[in-house]
Amino acid sequence: MRRVKRPRGNFHQTLAPSLFLLPNIAIFVLFIIIPAFQGLYMAFTDWSILGKPKFVGLKNYQRLLNDRVFGITVKNTLVYCFFTVVFITVLALLLALMLYKNKLKGEKAFRSAFYIPSLMSMITVGIAWRFILGDEMGIINYMLRSLGGEGVRFLTDLNLAMFSVIFVSIWAQAGYYMVIMISGLQAIPEELYEASKIDGATGLQAFFDITLPLLKPTILVVMVLATIVSFKAYELINVMTGGGPGFVTKMIVQQIYQVAFTEDRMGYAAAMSTFLMAIIGVFTLVQFKISGRSEDYE
Amino acid sequence: MLKKIIAVLLSLVMLLPLMALAEGEVTLKVLWFNDANESEVFEETIKGYLEENPNVKVDMQVIAFDAYEKQLKLMLAGGNAPDLVRLPTALMPVFSEHLALLEDYADVKAIEEAFAPAMLAYAKNTEGKLVAYPTEATANGMLINKTAFDKAGVDLTEISKTWDWQEWAELIKKVVEANDNIKYGLAVDFTPHRLSTILYQFNGRMLSEDLSKVNFSNEGTINALKWFKQMHDDALVPPSVWMGSENPAELFQAGLVACHIGGSWNINTYAKIEDFEWTAVQMPKGTMRSSVPGGKFIAGFKDSANQAEAQKLMAYFSDAEHNAQYCLGTYNLSSRTDVSIEYPSATEAFNVFSEELKVTPEYTAQEWNTSLVGKISGIVKEQVVQALLGTMTVEEVCAEIDKQAADLQ
Repeated sequence: MRRVKRPRGNFHQTLAPSLFLLPNIAIFVLFIIIPAFQGLYMAFTDWSILGKPKFVGLKNYQRLLNDRVFGITVKNTLVYCFFTVVFITVLALLLALMLYKNKLKGEKAFRSAFYIPSLMSMITVGIAWRFILGDEMGIINYMLRSLGGEGVRFLTDLNLAMFSVIFVSIWAQAGYYMVIMISGLQAIPEELYEASKIDGATGLQAFFDITLPLLKPTILVVMVLATIVSFKAYELINVMTGGGPGFVTKMIVQQIYQVAFTEDRMGYAAAMSTFLMAIIGVFTLVQFKISGRSEDYE
Repeated sequence: MLKKIIAVLLSLVMLLPLMALAEGEVTLKVLWFNDANESEVFEETIKGYLEENPNVKVDMQVIAFDAYEKQLKLMLAGGNAPDLVRLPTALMPVFSEHLALLEDYADVKAIEEAFAPAMLAYAKNTEGKLVAYPTEATANGMLINKTAFDKAGVDLTEISKTWDWQEWAELIKKVVEANDNIKYGLAVDFTPHRLSTILYQFNGRMLSEDLSKVNFSNEGTINALKWFKQMHDDALVPPSVWMGSENPAELFQAGLVACHIGGSWNINTYAKIEDFEWTAVQMPKGTMRSSVPGGKFIAGFKDSANQAEAQKLMAYFSDAEHNAQYCLGTYNLSSRTDVSIEYPSATEAFNVFSEELKVTPEYTAQEWNTSLVGKISGIVKEQVVQALLGTMTVEEVCAEIDKQAADLQ
């Protein structure tokens, strides 16, 4: 049998792309891959940041299973993540549906207005909303009291605190995902809508039978990105509530920070980080599975 | 031609750092945090030194205190230790083993004669060797809105000399009632350091007597925390500080709370208050009187690149003349025994804080001079809030703090 020689291509087709990718790959390996593996190793050690690590096997993971506070932060993170991702996805989709056709007057201004919060640092967003929602110094409570009402404990009430941080997270991020949704909507061929109109489909039918199926890959991207960001939420919540009252809004990342830098247990914090990475990985896989074979619609 | 000129200019720019090195230029990397205006006053104070030593430059990195410990640890772990660093009492035991010994650069005997012994105790490593220069001495105390007390007809001049927390509670209710703007009686900073003031006043401890382990489950601490919870339950203390994230100093300055248990460094900020008259008063006692002694220090790290130059600058900054200049500019008590400062205002408040220190038991400083207390600060804060929220009893909270702290060791 005659061996078929694969075409090798010239320099521009083979080596050049690799060379262009090389700096990015080097940075990725140096600052992401190597530290990630170091982190995996650290999780098996007892290590104070200013001392030398001591190998302790699975001790950190065993401790993790019995850590009540860590359990609370996992539960809080799941609750926060679920509501934030669901509402961000729905809101981003609704905003995108309103603004993707370039037909509304002032549409660009609206897009900018919704997008601007996502350009701000989460610390700035947190400080701003703390001044709006604060118990004593907050603008809303000041106005309520000026009108003779009682103040609302947005950030210190056991039930309202989590609601407040979820609301602000959605406010801060929905605009970013709206832009992704808009590009997804604009990629849907207009002819499909025209054909459905001729066939007598209503707007709602067109949305469920054309828009939603064809937007599925975009929605999946939004949900995966929003899930990862939500699991890693730290700055905004730390500024708004400091994880309080008590543990009510304390997330995994805040607990990792406290264990690593205040309690000086880097090894244990690394075990927590590995656990967080595993959860994010599992959730991302589940989202891919649930959303099915998106290539069906491509 | 143009290309050649640009190439020559670029080469010169690249060579500039080398030229600086050739002239023996030293840039000292300084890591600092501010309570108020300390970094500005520090730079002003060392101006003379920099003029006398033109080859020395200072690269100031001012970092928010919340991120300070983390940043410093990361810099050390990364082999990038600053040449000069400002440290509060709570961080001295964390970093003392990594600090350069003063005896390698200065006359330690002279330093020991010039500074208050209580401050020097914090400035030593575990071998008892000096590793830092104390700068300012601090104490926790009570600052009050005098205008609000006057409006309620409460004169604290005599009462505060003997009052206890129960008497304070009775009086403060009158003050809140008499002032429409005052909503609460007392704000306490959201830190175990300020909370420990009340613990000590109820004869409580955070550690065992030999300082080897955390022991919140003792009668004094339990009583103190019960009183702290009682003040929250009676709405004498705003929930937004310990259960939220509002700044008690801002609440005081806004005229919303009548009293603030804070540090002596608050005097600097409060000196600018124009809306009402304020002063410091002796704190109410629980079963005894107590404050928490503390201070700030400057030090250099063993591994830093320019330690010799940094030590010279620290010696200059810490001599009597410059320490006085710094403490005057920052409204702080000096750590030196040979310095007497006349503040343009708030002298009375400084005297009150000094008096609080005089009656403070020695073990308060010993507890805060261990790294254990710093490590449990996060745990203490969130567990105490459980008691305030009513999700756990005070006894359960103390037991939980002891249990979690035992896991750290």
